[in-house]
Amino acid sequence: MRPLILAALLCLAPLPALAHKVIAAVFPSGEAIEGEIGFSSGDMAAHQEVIVIGPDGAELGRTVTDEDGFFVFTPVQPVAHVFRADLGAGHVAEAVMPAGEVAAILGVGVPEEAAPAVPTAAQGAPLAALSGEERQAIAETVRNELRPLRREIAAYREHNDLQTILGGIGYIAGLFGLGFYLAARRRLAG
Amino acid sequence: MHIVDGALSAPVVIGGTIAALGGIALGLRALPLERIPAAGVLSASFFVASLVHVPVGPSSVHLILNGLAGLVLGWAAFPALFVGLLLQAVFFGFGGLTVLGVNTLNIALPAVLAGLLFGRLAASGTPLAGAVWAGIGGAFAIAATTVMVGISLRLSGDAFIPAAKLVFVTHLPVMAIEGVLTGFAVLLARRVKPELFAALKGASA
Repeated sequence: MRPLILAALLCLAPLPALAHKVIAAVFPSGEAIEGEIGFSSGDMAAHQEVIVIGPDGAELGRTVTDEDGFFVFTPVQPVAHVFRADLGAGHVAEAVMPAGEVAAILGVGVPEEAAPAVPTAAQGAPLAALSGEERQAIAETVRNELRPLRREIAAYREHNDLQTILGGIGYIAGLFGLGFYLAARRRLAG
Repeated sequence: MHIVDGALSAPVVIGGTIAALGGIALGLRALPLERIPAAGVLSASFFVASLVHVPVGPSSVHLILNGLAGLVLGWAAFPALFVGLLLQAVFFGFGGLTVLGVNTLNIALPAVLAGLLFGRLAASGTPLAGAVWAGIGGAFAIAATTVMVGISLRLSGDAFIPAAKLVFVTHLPVMAIEGVLTGFAVLLARRVKPELFAALKGASA
């Protein structure tokens, strides 16, 4: 039974979560652009093709998301990159990385400078003592550690709290109340 | 069910907006003073219903409750649902402002159809028979909405059959739940506040 359910889930996995908002975000990651695509519910878009478009509408390349909805794209030109993914059924994810950030990625280029945020200094080890490969590994680890956090922040941002809901209902009551008032005034005057 | 910004081509967005404006104008004309509070209540229920998620496999879909609005309001469902959709777009980010017209059309037109087809049946006969018809109307509105969404996507270039099938199949549980919900809502209204439907019959007769 378990394998059957699993198989069914795997078959259904690429289906978009219809009720949810699409979230797409891109951020510099070493010498590449890393991004994630998913839904506000926390489901990520796995194995989704992402088309990269330049500012003039020309296609710069394509990439595919992994199991967790993450994708990596290595930019070549210092222009604004638009990442688009069609999740089907009316869901389109779009994220933009401005030209400045792309240029910064390309300008840095070398792996030595790839991970400025790595807290190696805190460990007391002099930066120079680390090889490029070690830096890469540390940067990779930090990114992996930050992933759930980033996802949680995205989910939190999409969270609808009671205040929002009550506010919306308040607007509806006010709007229809106003309509009622205007209609009543017209009737009384007529 | 809400199509997002950027998923549709410009002609579909413009056409949908014009059609929705027409529907809203018609609806406002069909909304007498006495029905405004009912329209407000249904607008609010529609607004909140979208937050009730129904799990379907690994994903989930939400309630829409447009059938009930159509059964009670008829053409006046257009402005009521439009207000709900507008606030959903602003507050929750469901759909988007540019596709508001298309979304209004996709959700309100099936509601109006359900009202025209099943409204009279739901309002007459015994409360129980009315509730059954209302349930069918509620499920019908969802089915018609999925077809409308499929058509919108088709006109924008998506392949119709897979897109429509996907939307339709994932909404089957919603149809069942909304059918039952709408049926019970009408049963309650017929028992407790029969004038809600008496006014409807008076207006449409």
